[in-house]
Amino acid sequence: MTWVTWRQHRTQAIVCLALVCVTAAYAIVAGTWMRATFSDDGLPACLARSGGAGCTAAITSFVDEFSRGGINSIINLPLIAIPGLLGLVVGAPLLGQELERGTWALAWSQTVPRTRWLTAKLGLVTGGLVLFGAVVTALMTWYHAPLDRVTSRSEPLPFNGEGLMFTASLLCAFGVAVLAGLLLRNVIGAMVVAYVAWDILTGLVLLMGGPIHVLSPATMRIPCANGCPGVTTGSAVPATGHLGDFVYGITRSGHELVVSYLPANQFWTLQFIQGGLYLAVGLASLGIAVWVLNRRTT
Amino acid sequence: MTHDGALALRADRLGKRYGQTWGLRDCTFAVPAGSIVGLVGPNGAGKTTLLALTVGLLAPSEGQIAVFGEPSRAHTAATLARVSYLAQDHPLYRGFSVADMFHLGRSMNQRWDQALAEQRMDTLGISLQRKVKTLSGGQQAQVALTMALAKRAPLLVLDEPVASLDPIARLDLMRDVMGAAVGSGLTVVIASHVISELERLCDYLIVLAGGRLQLAGPVDDLLAAHHLLTVPRPVPDTGLPGTVISRTDSDRHSTALVAAGLGQLAEAERPGWRTDPVSFDQLVLAYLQRPPVTDHSRLAQSAVTS
Repeated sequence: MTWVTWRQHRTQAIVCLALVCVTAAYAIVAGTWMRATFSDDGLPACLARSGGAGCTAAITSFVDEFSRGGINSIINLPLIAIPGLLGLVVGAPLLGQELERGTWALAWSQTVPRTRWLTAKLGLVTGGLVLFGAVVTALMTWYHAPLDRVTSRSEPLPFNGEGLMFTASLLCAFGVAVLAGLLLRNVIGAMVVAYVAWDILTGLVLLMGGPIHVLSPATMRIPCANGCPGVTTGSAVPATGHLGDFVYGITRSGHELVVSYLPANQFWTLQFIQGGLYLAVGLASLGIAVWVLNRRTT
Repeated sequence: MTHDGALALRADRLGKRYGQTWGLRDCTFAVPAGSIVGLVGPNGAGKTTLLALTVGLLAPSEGQIAVFGEPSRAHTAATLARVSYLAQDHPLYRGFSVADMFHLGRSMNQRWDQALAEQRMDTLGISLQRKVKTLSGGQQAQVALTMALAKRAPLLVLDEPVASLDPIARLDLMRDVMGAAVGSGLTVVIASHVISELERLCDYLIVLAGGRLQLAGPVDDLLAAHHLLTVPRPVPDTGLPGTVISRTDSDRHSTALVAAGLGQLAEAERPGWRTDPVSFDQLVLAYLQRPPVTDHSRLAQSAVTS
């Protein structure tokens, strides 16, 4: 089955390899540039000396160049969209095309029972997708490391490119598309249905990304008698004074400002919750597909 | 009766239900090993259902079908290994080369005769490097048939193998099927709704209509057990020997196809009656046109055994 799976998915494997190459080229070029700027701005020394408090100007300029409105905004969308689209393209034909073109009758009348045929294919393809996701995640994590030292990793790009999110989103779209292909017996239909399902889930996950609804937010009160004009949600050095915190709300309460924020150390908690949601949906879909195929008698 | 071991196929009250409707019901027959079986019926008669049950792609709702004495169990390696199946429209992976298709066959079957596959392509002049989608319909059918033959199973099941082919390709394909069957002692089941095509080939006949078995038996026995009887009008069905399968009435004569042996006919014979042998076509058509009746199989079989 290994050869059969490889032969049926090799074009997709080549596309993944090409995507890895493009990602690597981008990560190396932009990452090197970012590292050079990071040193040129004197940030390593400043961070070591003051923990960030004394280098607001340097951090602001660095963040503006690379993160907010900088080159990160170019790859933000692809990092969210690619796992979804790739998952659909790989997942929908896996069963959908066999059923649509009638080749299932050929595949399932060889000596390999169809459930073993499916589990073997799913195992190998899922393994390939996990490998692809891990490589892209590693590249993006390396690329983003200088920014991760001065900004929150819970901002969209590092959050969707690091940790579990990229791979989990990919497997979610893949699993849903495999199941849709089995139920609809049609590749295009499966892609559309799986895209809508993945899109709804991604919308939910992104909404949760303003993590307000998921975690009880941490708050900090800052004394503030006279307006405090410099304290805003968007400032490069967060109002909490701790680099890496993600500030999403500031309200005034008497002579104090109440800062709602996600502490830097909540990154992995959020990753496990949101990535876990993707993974649960993806793996459950694959499980249901195996179960349905095994059980279906027609 | 023959021992089960000498039977290639044995169906015992086999039935398959799709939701509320029966695709096939109450199907009982026994096919000796080495037979060439013609499975005839109009579209929707249950031919593909019967084949899928045989091959192990469907599980029966009731009864069972055994291949060489072992009951077919859907989606098990043991059942799948016993049968080669050429599905309707001979599906192949369009993007594969012929060599890729054979590689798939090798990867998915313990017994696989690569030499046979390559030699057949050589004889047919089909290059192994050709992509499936660049082959003609007849060539694709030949590649699919070759996949089935190279699987080296003792039972070969073909579902409408030539329905989509032009006349020349039809002849070529069927000649190759028969060549392979004779050469290696295969039992072959050919489903078709083209009766004339089967007449030359098969020595065992199964007629299905409306999901019911109408007739099953060795062709020679069936032909010997049915006769065309021409009698002056009016003679009611009850006045005729055996069972009347079909009947056409003209002004002066009635012609009835009856399930009755020569002995029965001789007993019932009256002056002015004429008895003729039936042809394969007449026999099949008579049973196809007859409305499905529950205990038909029993009638037909009693006619054969009497």
